Amino acid sequence: MIPDLAQEGRAQEQQWVPEPQAPVVMFNNVGKTYGRYQAIGGISLALSGGVTGILGLNGAGKSTLFKLLMGKLQPTQGEVRLFGTNPWKNPAPYARVGYVPENENMHDWMTAHEFVSTFARLHGLTRDEAKQEAERVLEFVGLTDVMHKKIGRYSKGMRQRAKIAHALVNDPDLIILDEPLQGCDPLARTTIMNVIRELGRMGRTVLLSSHILSEIERITEQIVILHQGKLLAIGNLHAIREQLDNIPHTIEIECSNAKSLAKDVLNLEVVHGLQFPSPTKLKIFTHHLGEFHKRLPKIIVDNEHDVMVINNPDDDLQSILGYLTGGFR
Amino acid sequence: MEKKRGETIWTALDRKATAIAEFTVRQYRTRLSTWVVLGVGFLAISVVLLFYIDAMNSEIEAIDNDGDSYDWDGDGYVNGQEFKYGTDVNDPFSHPGLLNPPIEAEPASMYVNEDDYDWDYSDASSTWDAKDNDGDCVDSSLLPSQKDDNGDGIVCNIVLRYDSMTKSYSVYADPNVDEDPDEDRYGKEAQHRAFILGVGKLGFVFLLSIFIPLFLATGLIRDEMTSGTMQYMTAKPIARGEIFLYRMLGYLAIVWPYLLIVCALLALVSGFMGPGDQFYRFGDLGVWFSILIAALLATLVYGMLFAFLGVLWKYGIILALPIAAWELGMALLSMSVPESSFLRMSIVGWSMSIIDSGAYLAWPDMAMFTEAGAWAGGSNDMSSFLFIGGNELPGYGALEWAQSDLGLGMGPYATTIVSILVLFSQALFFWFIGQLIFKSKEIV
Repeated sequence: MIPDLAQEGRAQEQQWVPEPQAPVVMFNNVGKTYGRYQAIGGISLALSGGVTGILGLNGAGKSTLFKLLMGKLQPTQGEVRLFGTNPWKNPAPYARVGYVPENENMHDWMTAHEFVSTFARLHGLTRDEAKQEAERVLEFVGLTDVMHKKIGRYSKGMRQRAKIAHALVNDPDLIILDEPLQGCDPLARTTIMNVIRELGRMGRTVLLSSHILSEIERITEQIVILHQGKLLAIGNLHAIREQLDNIPHTIEIECSNAKSLAKDVLNLEVVHGLQFPSPTKLKIFTHHLGEFHKRLPKIIVDNEHDVMVINNPDDDLQSILGYLTGGFR
Repeated sequence: MEKKRGETIWTALDRKATAIAEFTVRQYRTRLSTWVVLGVGFLAISVVLLFYIDAMNSEIEAIDNDGDSYDWDGDGYVNGQEFKYGTDVNDPFSHPGLLNPPIEAEPASMYVNEDDYDWDYSDASSTWDAKDNDGDCVDSSLLPSQKDDNGDGIVCNIVLRYDSMTKSYSVYADPNVDEDPDEDRYGKEAQHRAFILGVGKLGFVFLLSIFIPLFLATGLIRDEMTSGTMQYMTAKPIARGEIFLYRMLGYLAIVWPYLLIVCALLALVSGFMGPGDQFYRFGDLGVWFSILIAALLATLVYGMLFAFLGVLWKYGIILALPIAAWELGMALLSMSVPESSFLRMSIVGWSMSIIDSGAYLAWPDMAMFTEAGAWAGGSNDMSSFLFIGGNELPGYGALEWAQSDLGLGMGPYATTIVSILVLFSQALFFWFIGQLIFKSKEIV
């Protein structure tokens, strides 16, 4: 063995060859139990390309799903395949995967540049290649001006972006982001959303998890809903939402004159009930949420209503889950 | 990506290795605990060094083993001087001052330590024509047969003999030959050697080599797993066994230079401070080298072992403590019963074998030198069965405690090579099971 101390050569070609026909991510009847607690039960799923949001409440099994994919957990049943390879047995597929863990702990004593370049070298890059690569990805997530500061002094959003940068080295085909927006300030949130959308445009397969529907909605329409370790729904978010249209919904509107707005709204055939919790608040019950939202702006503009807030307390994950599982929240 | 010439699996391996090793070194450097552990270790060794410096600077009180400095009859002439001139030591009216021409009385101090050892410790199983410097044997009124007590046909000499059955040396001396040794000369040399062996065995191989890995290596994998930062490393295309190995490399990159520095410092100070006429005791460097080798290997094996225990259980340090206690027992056993087969089931036993071999090579006279301290000018020769212990020379006890024979029943080179190989395979073994456990661990 001749040590490559000067680290001048180019990165080594990976020995591992992925199966060309295999989907990027495949779960075949995968289950994971911790003692008597079932984190995931019988999930079958295959994904290739595009941005997919994994939606679920806390404890729905989103992180477990990702950890199974990253070979950190061993499935208690079924098969997990990453580019056609079993990730628990073989770390080779990670050459093409970037993983952003949910864990908030980071190596606080490093600068983002050191952090990203150190982990880039684990892809077989040389010191110089890793430095260039780190600068490239840190620019991509917008951390160039602070990349020589210690991670310990970063804000939550900056840390999250540093984690994303470290996952993007070596240009992965699959990027897995576990709750990338959690705890971020609005600016970081926007930046991260743009980064994810950009990755989707670049043709990468992106998996991201969240428990907030509106976040996912702003990034992608392709969603997977997990509930209590089971796959509840998969497909286009709007298609799923359409199914919910025939179920009673509540909409809360805050305006200067609730009574006058109520008069106008009541003309709509889709509205079948009203409530006035306070003089400036109006609660509307409807069976056709989509239809109602199509008509509402015109009513507001035509009658010059002074509307402060429109709230869809039902249009969150909790209530979608409630309807999908057949119960009310 | 294009493959370049000279690009092998090894160069890529090496990149990952240096990346993780560098990362680990930097991580250690940012932790206060690293500096506290290394600092306390250095402090402990320094305290022992201070005791040594103090011992080297204080004179060992000279003892008049043969009583030649006493003046029994009170005539102003000490016995030794009266023996020399043949006057009666018990008669105050018989002394060299009454001779013609009269001889002036000499100070008593001239007759202390006046018949020091003048034989070569390394030359055993031979007759040694020891000089009877004070004439206590040659000029005495003993019969010729009494002057040849050891029966080798030569009067007033010393026979040194090696018994291959008991593997011990014996001193057979004619009476009153070399019977008043120089305590300071012997004691300083004995203390010096005892210090080197003691600090090497207990200071380096036991104290530093167990406690530094205990604090630095136990968390090598475990801390990353509990804090969750292992998520980043295990998400890269690198096997867990490699992570374990390269983390160890980083640990060694901190610990090995540290041992080298501390060892070099002690070798320097003791080389200049040590007894003898020479400017620097180059002869000791062999022992220091073997101490360094032993400590480097011991920190490697203990590091692998404790890192493995850390992976095995979150509270691996609890598992490490009984092992440290066992190793302390083995360390003490190795210094008293070096041939015990229990030592084969330890790390410290093999490491100490390396030091014993080094001492055996650097100080070939060691066994004889130790025996000479026990013989102490013949004062323990006759009475050894009447009372145990007796009047050993100063420093003998410490030396006897610190040194031990080669326990494997092989020569020093073979012992060293076998011990090094055993220690390496122990390290390999602990790495192997450590990475097996690590591989089977789920990282939550």
